[in-house]
Amino acid sequence: MNGLGFRTLFSKELRRFLRVPGQTLLSPLITTSLYFLVFGWSLGSRIREVDGVPYARFILPGLVMLGVVTNAYLNSASSLFVMKLQGTVVDVLVSPLSYAEILGAFVGAAVARGLLVGGIMWIVGAAFTGFGVAHPALAVLLLLVVAAGFASLGFLTATWAASFEQVNFLPTFVVTPLTFLGGVFYSASMAPPALRWLTQANPIYYLVEALRWSVLGRADAPPVVGFGVAVALAGAALLAAYAVLRSGWRLRG
Amino acid sequence: MSEPVVRLRGVSKRYGDFTALDAVDLDVAHGEILALLGPNGAGKTTLISIVAGLVRASAGEATVLGRDVVRDYRFTRRAVGLVPQEINFDPFFSVEETLRFQAGYFGVRLADDRLEEILVALDLVGKRHANTRSLSGGMKRRLLIGKALVHEPRVLFLDEPTAGVDVRLRQQLWAYVRLLRSRGTTIVLTTHYLEEAEELADRVAVIDRGRILLVEEKDRLLERQGGKTLRITLAAPLAVLPAGLAALGARLAEGGRAVEVDARPGGSFGPALAAAAEAGFPVGDVETRRASLEDVFVSILGGEAGGDRR
Repeated sequence: MNGLGFRTLFSKELRRFLRVPGQTLLSPLITTSLYFLVFGWSLGSRIREVDGVPYARFILPGLVMLGVVTNAYLNSASSLFVMKLQGTVVDVLVSPLSYAEILGAFVGAAVARGLLVGGIMWIVGAAFTGFGVAHPALAVLLLLVVAAGFASLGFLTATWAASFEQVNFLPTFVVTPLTFLGGVFYSASMAPPALRWLTQANPIYYLVEALRWSVLGRADAPPVVGFGVAVALAGAALLAAYAVLRSGWRLRG
Repeated sequence: MSEPVVRLRGVSKRYGDFTALDAVDLDVAHGEILALLGPNGAGKTTLISIVAGLVRASAGEATVLGRDVVRDYRFTRRAVGLVPQEINFDPFFSVEETLRFQAGYFGVRLADDRLEEILVALDLVGKRHANTRSLSGGMKRRLLIGKALVHEPRVLFLDEPTAGVDVRLRQQLWAYVRLLRSRGTTIVLTTHYLEEAEELADRVAVIDRGRILLVEEKDRLLERQGGKTLRITLAAPLAVLPAGLAALGARLAEGGRAVEVDARPGGSFGPALAAAAEAGFPVGDVETRRASLEDVFVSILGGEAGGDRR
């Protein structure tokens, strides 16, 4: 076990995103705050409540989930991709770090960024809607597992990607549409049949609902499904990232 | 040779139909400087990368200090330092941070005096806290060398280390490479500057199209392969080469202002000088020139191109 090696890479990855807080912490915070203000405030004045919960409070868990997912993904994806592009990935590959240590450091730092952004968003949003959380430990656990899953997906994407466009493919064409259609801003029970079907076929919907249950104490979908999706996603993505790293594909000649 | 520090046996690397390395056998001895010479695409970087763990061999075995580079990668990578050919830098961090991170990856806490020593040796003291983005090309290359040294490797691979480095710094780096060798570090050097190999190397390995063509001590190689040329500069030009010199294979150069004659390795210029004295022409200057490593290199690769494959 190369404990110092692991801690060094993990700490380097943390410092990398903390060094550009405007881009890595402030920017997602502003974007999500705008969602919150525009959707929560403007629609909130018309919708008022969803299943007995004020609309702004209803959408907050989904926004936090969106922030955690995209930031965990982007951190490992952009860091590894930039290292590939600049050639500094060589520094890690020639070192005596094991595959698990390398993956653990990248995923760990990406999870930290995801939770940091999600936590800040939560504090800002909760300041307007109330700080009460029904199941705080489960909420944190869910976000941790989801962040690890998306961080691993980011690592996989960066391993495969040959351009920034490819790095951005997943968040742009998959995660954002699925999140918007995943019941962040609406309840599936309120939606017309076609949208309801689309929503219920979307795995991110179950993640959002599980977080909503953890925070609000109620949700449309059974939370156990969301927790199951999170564990399955994280397990599969971590295993796939480990296998790809071990195979040397696109990293070692 | 005692137990080699690096040993390759039958190491091949294939990319689809292309063979980058073809059953390479090579031993690198403790404390030597081995220059790996070859044209672009010969397989030099692939060979180095296999030992450093950047590339996986398709066949064969590579060991460092007797341990397999794949099975015992933690041990072998701690023993190896690599200065890659391509300059890389992380624009998020300073020179000091970069060196400390690199040491950390190897499980080493970089002591302040060791950091200072590296910065001094590589002329980067003034840039200790500078962001790596602000460094010049030569400084970035020196930082690469520093990164390869932070864990005090037993074997240092230098892949074109002085490309783009000015003459003064090249001299400094050469001096530092010699210092490392004197402390027991084994060095494998690839370079396009044959002058660099000639200056530093104890032994030379010539590689072309993935095959090792020759491994020999540099001095013996120059002695064996590199003949000498005698050049007599004349005080007044000659129109016709005297028969005694012509019989020895001499030639007129510079429009008759000089006479040149080659001696094969081990040969003597005695007969040529006697023939010149007998011809009685006025001599301005006499010099001999030994073939450089570049001449030998070109001649070896030329022979290879002519079908003289081992």
